[in-house]
Amino acid sequence: MKILITGSGGFLGKRLVERLLAHGLTDLRCMLRDTSKGAALAQIASAYPDAKVELFAANLKNQPELAAALAGVSIVIHAAAALKGSPAEMFLDSVVASRNLLDAIVALPEPQRPRVVLISSFGAMGVPSLARGAMVDETVPMETRPADRDLYSYTKLRQEQMFWEYRERFGIELVVLRPGVIYGPGGGRFSTRVGLSMFGQFLHLGGSNLLPLTYVDNCAEAIVVAALTPAAAGQVYNVVDDDLLTSRQYLALYTKQVKPTRSIPVPYPVLLWGSGLVERYSIRSKGQLPAIFTPYKTKAMWGGNRFSNVKLKALGWKPIVSTSDGLERTFAAFRAEPTAK
Amino acid sequence: MSVLRVGIVGCGKIADGHAEVLQFLDGAELVAVCDREPILAEQLAVRFRVPKWYASLEQMLAEERLDVVHITTPPAVHLFLTRQCVAAGAHVFLEKPLALRAADCRELINVVTAAGRKMSINYWPNFDPPAMELKKLLADNVVGDPVHVEAFIGYDLSGTYGQALMSDPGHWVHALPGKLFQNMMDHIVNRIVPLLPPGEPEVNAFAYKRREAVRGDATDLLLDELRIVLRCGGVSAYGSLCSHARPVANTLKIYGTKNTTELDYANRTVITMASQRFPSAIGRLLPSFQMAARYFKQGRNNHRAFHRHQFQYFAGMTTLLKKFYDSIRNGTELPISYPEILRTVDIMDRVIEQVYPLSREAAR
Repeated sequence: MKILITGSGGFLGKRLVERLLAHGLTDLRCMLRDTSKGAALAQIASAYPDAKVELFAANLKNQPELAAALAGVSIVIHAAAALKGSPAEMFLDSVVASRNLLDAIVALPEPQRPRVVLISSFGAMGVPSLARGAMVDETVPMETRPADRDLYSYTKLRQEQMFWEYRERFGIELVVLRPGVIYGPGGGRFSTRVGLSMFGQFLHLGGSNLLPLTYVDNCAEAIVVAALTPAAAGQVYNVVDDDLLTSRQYLALYTKQVKPTRSIPVPYPVLLWGSGLVERYSIRSKGQLPAIFTPYKTKAMWGGNRFSNVKLKALGWKPIVSTSDGLERTFAAFRAEPTAK
Repeated sequence: MSVLRVGIVGCGKIADGHAEVLQFLDGAELVAVCDREPILAEQLAVRFRVPKWYASLEQMLAEERLDVVHITTPPAVHLFLTRQCVAAGAHVFLEKPLALRAADCRELINVVTAAGRKMSINYWPNFDPPAMELKKLLADNVVGDPVHVEAFIGYDLSGTYGQALMSDPGHWVHALPGKLFQNMMDHIVNRIVPLLPPGEPEVNAFAYKRREAVRGDATDLLLDELRIVLRCGGVSAYGSLCSHARPVANTLKIYGTKNTTELDYANRTVITMASQRFPSAIGRLLPSFQMAARYFKQGRNNHRAFHRHQFQYFAGMTTLLKKFYDSIRNGTELPISYPEILRTVDIMDRVIEQVYPLSREAAR
């Protein structure tokens, strides 16, 4: 069974390839824009000499390149997505790229169409409509006010909507996973859910909110389990680990184990009030300062929720790395790279 | 004041700037956007709450009865799209560069005028508040007659725009005859041109690649440092596009017969240089205080502009569009004359011929 992985050179993609190999899959096609950047994948593959790990150069923005990438593939795991850039670039790299992939899939004769596994995001869910402390699970409806969210969430929402539309129109077999905050060695140090650096100060905005953390290997494991389980077809799974930390606990551990970090705590009511001021000022000043904070964005990011992984566990997934071990490994990596951000 | 119905064709990165300005501009309403990639049109419309989006310009023109279309596509299709827009009765506002060659620019303006429509080009930095202040200093004869001009633009190849360019050998900028320079050079040449006397300027240019990285693709052909020397009558000028000096600067310095004045677009200052008015050590001591006082005054003025909500990034585009739209409504003078635009693109052509001779030949 040949599996195509898009975004295989990314933070999650690399671990995903490793987990697929660990599950005994022996025929992987790793799509990269530039195969000269596949050294890390080659190293991972070297531990599995019996497996065929093909580095495949293709750009999702160039649809003609995708038919060859899909040839003989039984499962596509679509992990490629833009994390930064201008709005147009992010839509091109995430949404247009996804549309190209879907078009290439539905151009195949029906029996040859692979199962599609989309790595979506928590950002696709309409959490601002929930009360503080409400449980976030797979029943939360998708976002209805994308223009009011951050750009990444909007691109992920539009991407996921498109996959469901294609499933509806063409009957493709689709599984969607929505990871929370993916962390691990090589990942970021502070999710926006913890806080933001502004004007040389770190504003701690997460307070006592639970962080929807998932260690990168656990997330990769969830994707593999969902990809290989027939019953997952047509389902969506939120991906979070057990034993979640609060933002405050994460910051304290980071300060203790990695680097002393001074932060200014901003209580949620103050943040919400300030966000309203920022939004109103942005409008009144005709965009002189951008509305980086708005009450809606604040509710989405720092409203504070609880998170369920019950549905994912029912599929047979369990974390392969505990949160305490995951944090230890991650912080050890941060310590080894003191200058990295 | 009649409200103009405005559309945008080309929903890439720069279209965001146009939509930002239009959403707060009195007398204009952004009613539709268009891109042949419908997802790009959709995202722009959704984010800026534009009522309609299209994947076909023909359809947008037919359904929306637009007064003005902003053409924010890559330049290779500007002439083609302009023909469609003016045929539908719309005036056009175009992103720079206007077209691939000066001859196409000339034809574009002819197409617009033949249809009885108007056009302008987004030379927005020339309408930023400090640039307007400099124009006033020139008009009031504070600077005197220009003797020499220095226009300097820094470019960050690792910045948001630069990275998009350098990570994608298929980016449209690599296909321009003058590559990166052609996409940026308008902003160097267009600030020099109004200061040159009439006549045919001498144009000398050279360029080179300072970065060492080799990627083995089309990005390697892109030169990153450009120097231009111009002379026309009694005025000379240097123009530089510099990708490696820091901070990334954006300035214009005019050495006049009465005073020397420097406009810093990035820092929003326009400062006339102090001179020694007193002899000896006293004369050398005072100018730095004079300069400090002038910067302080500029800071105070900037603070006032901020307080009055006139300090947006694209404040210059707002001013330029107001003038262009007024010209459409009232038949008044255009904010940028056609001869000025054509003189700019003629100089650009001659620079590109010198720094990318093979690319220019191939484009012909």
